[in-house]
Amino acid sequence: MIYLDNAATSFPKPEPVYRGMEDFVRASGANPGRGGHRRAVEAEAMINDTRRLLARLLGCARPERIVFGHNATDGLNMAIKGVLRQGDHAITSVLEHNSVSRPLNRIEKDGVITLTRLPATADHLIDPDEVARAFRNNTRLVALTHASNVTGTIQPIAAIGRIARERDALLLVDAAQSAGVVPIDFDNDRVDLLAFTGHKGLLGPTGTGGLVVGERVTVRPWREGGTGGDSTRPVQPEEFPHRLEGGTPNVFGIAGLREGARVLLKRGVETVLPHERGLIRVFLTSLKRPERLSWYGADRVIADRNGEGRVGLVSTNVAGFAPAEVGAILDEQFDIAVRPGLHCAPYAHQHLGTFPQGTVRLSVGILTTADDMRQAAVALDEITAS
Amino acid sequence: MGANVKDKTDIPARYSRQILFEEIGPEGQARLMDARVALVGCGALGTVQASLLVRAGVGHLRIIDRDFVEESNLQRQILFDEEDVRAILPKAVAAEKKLRATNSLVDVEGLVEDLNASSIGRLLTGFDLVLDATDNFDARFLLNDYCVKTATPWIYGACVGSYGLTFPILPGDTACLRCVFESAPPPGLSPTCDTAGVLGPIVGVVASLQVAEALKILSGRLERVSRRISVVDVWEGRQSQIDLPAREPACPCCGKREFPYLEGALGSDTATLCGRNAVQIRRRDGVRLDLDEVARRLGPIGTVEKNRFLLRADIDAYRLTVFADGRAIVSGTTDAAVAKSLYSRYVGT
Repeated sequence: MIYLDNAATSFPKPEPVYRGMEDFVRASGANPGRGGHRRAVEAEAMINDTRRLLARLLGCARPERIVFGHNATDGLNMAIKGVLRQGDHAITSVLEHNSVSRPLNRIEKDGVITLTRLPATADHLIDPDEVARAFRNNTRLVALTHASNVTGTIQPIAAIGRIARERDALLLVDAAQSAGVVPIDFDNDRVDLLAFTGHKGLLGPTGTGGLVVGERVTVRPWREGGTGGDSTRPVQPEEFPHRLEGGTPNVFGIAGLREGARVLLKRGVETVLPHERGLIRVFLTSLKRPERLSWYGADRVIADRNGEGRVGLVSTNVAGFAPAEVGAILDEQFDIAVRPGLHCAPYAHQHLGTFPQGTVRLSVGILTTADDMRQAAVALDEITAS
Repeated sequence: MGANVKDKTDIPARYSRQILFEEIGPEGQARLMDARVALVGCGALGTVQASLLVRAGVGHLRIIDRDFVEESNLQRQILFDEEDVRAILPKAVAAEKKLRATNSLVDVEGLVEDLNASSIGRLLTGFDLVLDATDNFDARFLLNDYCVKTATPWIYGACVGSYGLTFPILPGDTACLRCVFESAPPPGLSPTCDTAGVLGPIVGVVASLQVAEALKILSGRLERVSRRISVVDVWEGRQSQIDLPAREPACPCCGKREFPYLEGALGSDTATLCGRNAVQIRRRDGVRLDLDEVARRLGPIGTVEKNRFLLRADIDAYRLTVFADGRAIVSGTTDAAVAKSLYSRYVGT
């Protein structure tokens, strides 16, 4: 199988990720907790080590502000529902995944907040000036994706972070597609909240992820419970990460995520994006008839600017075929896994003019090879020729 | 079942001709009036079966069907009329209404539901007998799993064109469906009523044979239940009886008691496609379809377009895109039950 659905989850994982999980399950599988027996301490230490590694990857000086949850969706819900209060205004964009749009839409519908959904430019970017113009007196949160899971475009979060900070609002970044792929500087880019998932660019297993919480932010815990220590207090402790981590964490998953983070730090996150762009370029240049596909601007960016400003995914469409048909043909005839449809981002497809059919998305990862891309190009050429 | 022997005077007069038939008698009739029967499917076979069972006086009849009455049903589905088509009534609802008017002593219950691995336990619990009036093999293997597991007798029946066959299954005693057919035939190869047509008379014959076996089981005459497969072709004028094979000790279902259809591990898998008004159906049995053959059969029914990768058939308001591995994208609906029904009718399972 040629796996080009890394934007959904990275596959395969680097070998150390599998080994790290197995070793941990066999050797130490204890419930973490401070002051416990040796194995419990080991589990706690492993989790805290993972926090340190992720803090380095994400440019956050304080590892304890990295809170683990199930995935990016969990982190986004924690942030949106834990920060916004009655009467607040929030700014978001059309490029968002439903994990941002739906929690915001829900509390807007419930009459808690008012919401501005910004359009994207023809290059599928959010213009910082537009963000600045959308501000109101009561704007508390700007919630934006770092890299769109439909267009792949990387958003100017540093510029938007500056704007939010000047106006005393908070910036929430959805890093589902960017963590482990795009170098992130949480502190210097003035990000206040960053939701990440462990199973995509960070190379860990599903069921891992969470939220980085900046020091300016007060997040109400939406899940309260045991924290492995400090049991005398009647309510959730104030200090991080326990404030937002009630309940036994996904210890085995985090053991895998730790290895994913180690692989990335060893290799250098800054090498990932050039690798991904190179693969997308190989794909585009290998196609005999790229003009028979709709590219939504990606072909131009890859040809003129080497794919700069984009992560390693392309959305495309083949004239005469529904996206789901192309996906089924690639799977059935060529054993190539891609993702057709709306990618849980309906507003992004409305922006592209591809709603409701969507597009066919091909997304690469660090273990994707140039040969995979050439074969994908051959397959698409055969489909366009039929 | 197992009612007390009743005096002839306790039996409503409407059943007088049936109790005169010695092997049923008042005792058999009393058992029948206590019996609970589930009928899966209310198309050609189902309407004939339901009519005969309700007239015969079963105690309770549950009818399960997910489809609506269409004009092309009227040629053979004897409970329905033009008014039902105009009113776009669900078959289960139209049937219940007609049957209640036929015999108010019978508790008739029509359910507009899709029988699948998750609904079957809820829909079929507490019945003495299940009658097969489905139109596809996935549903029959699911019925077989359920009935073998719960030791519920059921009666297989199928027809297409002028040909049909039926046999009863007494779990633990006679061969089950998987002793007879190891697995479903490849779709697109076996004709369906929507591609090859079907004659009213064969439906009447097969459904009547099924109900005759049902009456034996429900009236307590298990020793009289047929141990044969009845095969009839009303056009060729052929009728034959083939001995049912003995129960197969290695049968995965009644021998090894594995129930993959019930656990949802076999059969087709549906997914509503993200954002589209479409449902994708995938098969899990690894069959290959001959798309040319499917195109040939669907040609007279709809607009068919084919390339080396897929076949598209526009039939009524729907588009079926069929692939060689048996998967299909059914556009024009987000309802998995509707998509499955169209797939069974036009591709076959």
